[in-house]
Formats: sequence, structure tokens, C-alpha cells
Amino acid sequence: MIQKKICLLGASGVGKTSLVKQYVEGIFSEKYLTTIGVKIDKKQVDLGVEQVQLMLWDIEGIDRYCGFQPKYLRGASAYIIVTDQTRSQSLVEGMEIHRMAREVSDVPSLLVINKCDLEVAWHWTEGELNGYSKEFVGCFTTSAKTGEQVDDLFKCLAQISLK
Amino acid sequence: MQQSLIQALGIINCTILKRLKDKNFEIVHCSDDWFYSLAPEAVGKKQFEFGDSSVYLTDFFLDAEDFWQIGNDGQIQSGVWTEQSQDKLLRLEAIAAVSKGECYLVINNLEVEYAKQQKTLQVARELLISNDKILAQHEYIHERLDEVLKQNLDLISLQEPLKKIVESANFGILICDAQLQPESQNPNAYSLFEINPKSTESSPVGVVLDLMQKQVAEFERVLQTGSRWHGELFWHKPPFTSKWLQLALYPVKDENGNTQHWVFIFSDISKIKYLLQRNEKLSLYDNVTDLPNRQFFWQELENSIETDAPFFVLYIDVKHFKRINELYGHLAGDHLLVNLAERLLPLLNKEDICARIGGNEFGILLRNQKSQQHCIDFARRMIEAVEKPFYNDLKQKIQIGINIGAAHYPADASDSEELMKFADLAMFAAKTSSKSTLKFYSKELKDASQKRLELEASLRYAIEKEQFELFLQPMLDLNTGEIVKAEALIRWRLDNDVLVSPDEFIPLAEQTGLIVPIGKWVLSKAGKMLKLLLQHKSNLKISVNLSPRQIADRHLFEFIQSVIEHCGIPAKNLELELTEGVLIDNFEKVQMLLQEFRKLGITISIDDFGTGYSSLAYLQKLPIDHLKIDRSFVHELDVNESNKAIVLAVIAMAHSLKLGVIAEGVETSEQHQFLVSNHCDTAQGFLFSKPVPFDDFCQQLIKETKAKN
Repeated sequence: MIQKKICLLGASGVGKTSLVKQYVEGIFSEKYLTTIGVKIDKKQVDLGVEQVQLMLWDIEGIDRYCGFQPKYLRGASAYIIVTDQTRSQSLVEGMEIHRMAREVSDVPSLLVINKCDLEVAWHWTEGELNGYSKEFVGCFTTSAKTGEQVDDLFKCLAQISLK
Repeated sequence: MQQSLIQALGIINCTILKRLKDKNFEIVHCSDDWFYSLAPEAVGKKQFEFGDSSVYLTDFFLDAEDFWQIGNDGQIQSGVWTEQSQDKLLRLEAIAAVSKGECYLVINNLEVEYAKQQKTLQVARELLISNDKILAQHEYIHERLDEVLKQNLDLISLQEPLKKIVESANFGILICDAQLQPESQNPNAYSLFEINPKSTESSPVGVVLDLMQKQVAEFERVLQTGSRWHGELFWHKPPFTSKWLQLALYPVKDENGNTQHWVFIFSDISKIKYLLQRNEKLSLYDNVTDLPNRQFFWQELENSIETDAPFFVLYIDVKHFKRINELYGHLAGDHLLVNLAERLLPLLNKEDICARIGGNEFGILLRNQKSQQHCIDFARRMIEAVEKPFYNDLKQKIQIGINIGAAHYPADASDSEELMKFADLAMFAAKTSSKSTLKFYSKELKDASQKRLELEASLRYAIEKEQFELFLQPMLDLNTGEIVKAEALIRWRLDNDVLVSPDEFIPLAEQTGLIVPIGKWVLSKAGKMLKLLLQHKSNLKISVNLSPRQIADRHLFEFIQSVIEHCGIPAKNLELELTEGVLIDNFEKVQMLLQEFRKLGITISIDDFGTGYSSLAYLQKLPIDHLKIDRSFVHELDVNESNKAIVLAVIAMAHSLKLGVIAEGVETSEQHQFLVSNHCDTAQGFLFSKPVPFDDFCQQLIKETKAKN
């Protein structure tokens, strides 16, 4: 079976670990527990014509306590930039991470706007979001809590990782 | 290494493997069974070949193999990763090492360290996220309120969606008039302070003002100068209630730069403070720069006073930091602060303290210091360190400057509040210089500051009451002797009929931003005068000075365009004068602006030429028409040979670039003659006429016409 490495990148506290947990185990916890380093989970995706084993690299949030580590992108087939729609700054930081990732990798990437179960509390306009989304292959609005769009997101990742 | 020795040394929970060949290892030490979940193939064996059970480790082998192949003594680390073993999570880190030609792989089980680190990081990140949210909310509501309040000076017309945000915001919002009388206090402000909205005894504004007066040394200066402030306040309501508040105070100014409103936005950050208290490092240190924070600085200041040894308090402000944040983003701004702190620290002695005491403000305690000279030397080293360029992630060069204010214990004050207040006042005085400067607090400085505030208030009054007058000074064509231009020069006539020289009030107007409305008045007035003067002389030009602050005003071009249209004057009869400094400071922006002026037909002259950079490089690139030789060169033309040489050089250079030359400050017929003989095009000065009121200037034109006829 084909194995594909997918990296989850983003500022801290945006819900990268929760997205993986929801996708792999179907579990969500309200309690925020910060990730240190990397945790790798595996999940098989059935694309009909093909089975793909996703190796999900959940990478510590990038902030002033943890810098961007280009080496984690080595061998990746795609990556996602996760943002939190209750924090404006998470998109600014996400775009900055995307820019740094672009410097070392040209694999396809998706923008993820997470926490859609909560009220939108950032101030980005539709136009601004569309502008940012254009820099990605696609954009998903997800909730790790309700599972909304989570399966679709990873299925899409499996598809684009094969291209 | 002997297993017994490893155990005796109490080396952490780890596995040590000796590399035999590609992916083949011999177990040297294995402290626990967890290792076998990474390498099940090693169970029961002394030597084994690693499989691919651990994806992370397999990835690390790519780097490790390269390292082992090179074979130099040393080690590389994999970084921390989490591995799921049967029933628990393993927190691991691998190290590839080479020692005396032998290759090793060490895998550390970091369970204990991970838990400790996670606890600290958890608090730090929760704090970061909460802080982020509060700052973003404050900034957003501030921007929206600023926008609305500028357009609607009363609150009745507050837009509906904004009104809703204000009313339902989960933080306090207070809007006051210029005299700090409350105009709007949102429900959350009342509930934060547990005040009944119907109460007549107290109000949120009253509580906040009281807290600021008691806890913010800079408060008086902030109010007097219409500045922003943000920081933390502690509110205590006996017997048991207390809260930490994060507060931002913003002035809302009208187009004349007058403060119309004050907006207070504040949030309860007690929870964050509680989180901080769980970790001493976080509670007393700034999480961006790792320097001590404001709280720590105050404690140290108090401690220093108790020891009674002399010291200096330095208050340092990074110039134009807001602009850096806007241009390069907040991350770059943070990064710059970190680098700045790194440059400051090596300059300190071990007993000194450097803290981040505000957004772009640092405080330094220079202990055991009596002499100002020591402080001056220290400040010089600090300025040198800070003025070396900084670079952001995109390798863009960022240059900054600092304002430094200093107060001395015990010479200036003997309590912490006064010391901070005085150092802040001195820092504010240092801001008047465009360069990085140190100012010491003194009684004179306090008096000057008071005088300045009075002058500023008078200047605002002058704008309101239109106490300004525009004088015109003729410029003569040196070939024909005719008046071809007039320089518009502002005068300020006080109620008692005394005229104030522009030298006295223009620098202050420039510094406070009042130059923008004053400059607009000058342009409008000059436009109206020109309209009338063109009836006397159709080819006459009026030239108007533009200051750096006016150039920075993004509405300048539109405004000048509107003056031309409104007055119905040809653009070619308007000339703008800029100093060399303005060109250098922001070359690209000025270049674009001047090109727009050129398209319109406005001509440009460079004022005070010769006193600044006088670089041919920029002269060639800019659409300019004339150079004005500074009066200092013309003044000593009769006696000073080097001035003669400079004037001749400027004329030759200007003519070679096809630019006109105007000589300022011509006072004697000898100077006049020299300029005529050397083909200077135009001149102005007391020899021909001092600046005169409009009517007198008209008379001069009429006289000239009569003489011609």
C-alpha cells in the first residue's frame, strides 16, 4: 500500500492534535494539551481505486517557544496550515508558516479554518480569506469537535498527495 | 560503558546502542522494556537489525547515517517525538553520536522531563493565546471606534453594528470627552467593577481614572500630550475582591490633531495572572524578550531605593515602533525587540537591571552610579549598539532609533513613582530630536515641558481662532530685476498683537502633528492670494514650504489638488519647497509624490541646499526644478572664500542638471553683485524686501509695474 507523509502545521492552540484525534480515533477533548515535538499517527484512506496509508505528522505549534523546523517537511507529500477562526493572529501566523514552508517545499497544501463550531471571532473579511485561500490548493472549514469536514479534509489530502 | 557504571551514575532512562553497520546495532544498555516497542526485532538478542516500527526513527536514520559516515566526534539530536507503545505514550529523543571512531545511537525516554516541560509550555501557551485574543479584540474595537468617532463627534450616530459590539463586548469600553467626562460606559465595564449602572456614587470611568492616577507614573504625561498607553492595572475592592486588568487608552483626534475623545478598553486578565503565578519565571519575565517585566522592574527599583546607593533610572522608548509593526508585521516587531534586548544586555554590569516595561519601552537601572558622565557614556554605547541595522526574516534591513530619559536617585527624586515619572518626562523630551538622544531630568526640563504644553495649547487655540497670517517675501529674477516669485511665510499674531516667529512654533507644530492643519491653512491661503496676485502679474509664482510631517500625510496630494481646483489657479504658478532631509528620509515615497506634482505642473525647489546631504545621486533621480542656496553660504559671501567656492559649485552643478538656482538671505549689494556676475538665476533677501503682508506685497508689484511703464 502506498504510504504518504502529511504534515500538520500552524500556530499553537489551533487544534492540529484535535483534528488528528478526531480523524483517527473519533475522539475530541475540550481540554487543551500542548504538543511538544512530533507525534505520528497512521490512517488508511480508501480512495476507491487505491488504498493510501496516511502518515500524519502532528507537529508542535510554531510560536515564540518553538520555531519552524524545515526538516519535518522532508519527504512530505502534502501539508496543511491549520488556523483557528476565533483568533485573527492564527491566520497571520499560519500564512507566515506557509511562506517558510514554501521556501523548502513545493508539495501541495491546504488551508484549514478550524473551530467552526464556535462563533467566528476573527475579523477577516470574506474577500481577505479568499485572497489567502488562493495560495493553497484548497480550503476547508472544519470542527475537530463535531467532526465537520474532517474526513473530507483528510480524504482530499490523500487525493492531492497522489498527484 | 559498563551497565553497572551507567546505573551507578544514575544516567537517565535510556537505551544505548552501538552501531555495527547499516541499521545493525549491538545493545550496550537497555534500561527498560519500552525500547522493544520501537524495535520488537531486538527482543532476546544482543545484536539486531532495526525494522521500520518507528516512522520517526526511520526518518532520523537518514540524518544519523550521514553523520556516522562522516565519523567526526560529536552528536546530533532527533528532536522530541511521541510514540504509542501498547498501553502508553512514550516521549523520546534519539541521539546519534560518534566517540573515538565508534558510532552510537542513544534513545532517551523523556517522560519526566516532558511532563515538566509540558507544564511550563502549557501555561506559557495558554497565556499567549489569551493575550493574543485580548490584544486582537482591543485593537479591533479601537480601530472601529476611532473610525466612527472621527466622523461623528457625538455618539448618537454610533453605527448600529458597532453599538452592538460595544454593548455586548466581554470587555469594558469607556468613551470620554476631551475633559475625561464619561460619554459612554458599556454594560461589561459596570459588571467588571461590580457597579450598579443606576448608582450615582461611582462609575467605571471614576474607578479607572483613580487606578491610573495611582498606578501609572506616565498618566499625566499621556493625558497632556494626547499619547496612547497600554498596560496592566490592579483593582482591589475590600474586603475580598480584586482583579488584574489589561487596559489600553487611546486618544481620538480630529483633523486638527485635537483630542476629541478618550477611549479606554480593558479586560479582566486575573485568570492569566493566576496562570502566571503558577510559574515565577513567567510572572516576572516578559515572554517576548525574556527580560524582566514591568512588575519586576518596579520591585527592583524599590529595592534599589532601600539600599540608598545612588543610581540612574533610564526610560528607553523605541522610535516609530508602531510604524515597524505596521510595515513588517507584529512577528517582525517582536523579533526586533528580542534582538534589541540581546544587544542591550552585554552593555550592562551584573548589578544593573534591564526590563521591558511597556510595548516598545525598556527600563534600565544603572546601579552605584553618581556621575552623569558614566550615564552619558553608557547611553552612547547603547545608541551605537541599537543603531546598527536589524534584519527581519526576509532579510529586509530595519533601522531604529531610541529616546532615552534618565533620572537620578537621590538627586532628582527619592521615591519610585517620581523617579519613573521624571525619567519618562526626560524620555519624552528626548523625542523632540529626530536622532537617538539621551536627556536627563532637570527642573528646567520640567519647566520647559510645561512651557511647551502651554505653547501647544496656544497653538491649538491659534488654529481654532485663525490667528495666523501669511506674509510674502519677493524673489527677484537677477537678470531683469523683476519680482518673479514670492515665498509664503507664516506669522502668528497673538491676541496682544505680538508676532511669534515661526522658528519658535514650527518645530513644536511639526513634532505634535499640528503642522498638518497649519500647513493646510498655509496652502489654502497661498492659493487664494495667488488667485488675486495673478491679476497683477500673470506669470507670478508663490512658493510654499512643506515639512516632513506634511509629506508623510497621505492626503497631501489630494489636498493640494483640491486647493488648485477650488481657487482656480494654474498649477504651474505654485511651487513647493522641501528640505534635503525630507528627500533622504523617505526617498521612494517622496519620489512618487514629486512625480505626481510634476504631472500636475507644480514646480519643486530644494530648500536650504548645501546644509544636508547635497547628493547628486538623488538630485538626478527626482523631478525637481530649483535649488535654493542656504542663507548661511550667502551670508558670508563677501569674506569667506570657501562659501564663495560652495556657491559657485552649486550654481555650476545646478546648471549642469538644468536646474534653476535661488539664493536666499541676500542682504548686501556685494552679495547681489557676486550672484549676478556668477549667473545665479533668482534671489531673495532683505536687500530687496523683508517678508511683508499681502497688501504691501501688492503695492510692490504695482510700483514695479509703474516703474516699468
